[in-house]
Amino acid sequence: MAEISFPLPDLGEGLLEATVLEWLVKVGDQVERNQPFVEVETTKSSVELPSPIAGIVLTLHGEPGDVVLVDRPLITFAVADDSAGIVGTVPQEAAPKRRVRLSVVLDED
Amino acid sequence: MSETLELVRETPLLQLSMQQAINRALGEILEHDDRALIFGEDVGVLGGVFRVTDGLQQRFGANRVFDTPLAESGILGTAIGLAMAGFHPIPEVQFDGFAYPAVNQIITQLARMNYRSRGRLPMPVTLRVPSFGGIRAPEHHGESLESLFAHVPGLKVVSPSNPQQAYHLLKHAASMPDPVIFMEPKARYWNKAAVDLADDQDSISLEGSVIARPGKHATLVAWGAMVSRCLQVAELAAEDGIELEVLDLRWLKPIDEAGLAASVSRTRRAIVVHEGPHTAGLGAEVAALVSQSCFDTLRAPVERVTGFDVPYPSGDLEDEYIPNIDRILFGVQRVLEYRRG
Repeated sequence: MAEISFPLPDLGEGLLEATVLEWLVKVGDQVERNQPFVEVETTKSSVELPSPIAGIVLTLHGEPGDVVLVDRPLITFAVADDSAGIVGTVPQEAAPKRRVRLSVVLDED
Repeated sequence: MSETLELVRETPLLQLSMQQAINRALGEILEHDDRALIFGEDVGVLGGVFRVTDGLQQRFGANRVFDTPLAESGILGTAIGLAMAGFHPIPEVQFDGFAYPAVNQIITQLARMNYRSRGRLPMPVTLRVPSFGGIRAPEHHGESLESLFAHVPGLKVVSPSNPQQAYHLLKHAASMPDPVIFMEPKARYWNKAAVDLADDQDSISLEGSVIARPGKHATLVAWGAMVSRCLQVAELAAEDGIELEVLDLRWLKPIDEAGLAASVSRTRRAIVVHEGPHTAGLGAEVAALVSQSCFDTLRAPVERVTGFDVPYPSGDLEDEYIPNIDRILFGVQRVLEYRRG
């Protein structure tokens, strides 16, 4: 298991902070990549943030109403060592399947 | 390995995935070479998108393991400047398809600085590139650039096929005075296998190709993720009474001509398998080398089972693009049933 934290991104042009409106996940939840996990409000708008990774929520850094700062931790996930990277999936090892059979007369010279 | 040798073994065999094996190798390189530096997109704080550089920034500090802007040309330019200043950079380009913005730096500077400076400015740069397809990723995340890089004088190109090789070949590459493109088969990142960490040069070959499975009726030539697929094919072919040899080429520049010739001289037939597009793929070079060295013993033209001459497709079509077991078996059938005249 690895712990991966993600900071609050800059949601506008040079915004420094945002207010947590509502956590859409709770500690212990399995979150899928791109699943919205929090709604935050900036001086410009309120937005739902998608999770950049799949994992189990370990820590939510802030309560609803708290101000979180850009580049400071927002959420921490526990991620299995054999989980996929941020892009793509882990190839599934299946038993090799075939339709083609070899049929040849081998000359032994 | 005999029992007595097993007893005196000092370093244990570990079950590691390729990402863990590479992580371990990188840690050892940084530990033993204080001029080694790791940098690239997300390699520091995050530990790499595939966890390959996990924990290295915490261990060695942000001066030696650091994140770069999303600018591959800048990553390579930085590596070249650092190498000129005496460092041993190990940059990462996050995905194969992101290497294109860096190709100018690679070809016009990295590959020829040593030549241009008459040996005064060697480029001991190991460029790690998670490569090839197989993980259902979007565009630019599944490409095979080996023939592009192999064509550039001054570069070495290598691709490991399993954790053991990844560990040793990376350490070897990082010790070389020349730029090495280290192509990590990302589809194999998660598969665990035994890794012998002993650096004993007698037992671990670092140069040239290796025979991944001996056989006598034909040689499957492959590298990267296609080696394990060819091993599956060899297993299936054995059910039909056909013994296929699997040659893991490993070094794609320079290609192990002698090893290739030795294998095909014995089996007299060759099928080269790669993910990259067919035309001017590295399979053409392999076929030419085999034709030249084994012309008198070859029983059939060298068969190429490859990707297609189209851009790498989206994940849904990936299995149709990458050579699958049946396509490789068809290739084997064609060389086995070929008769002259």
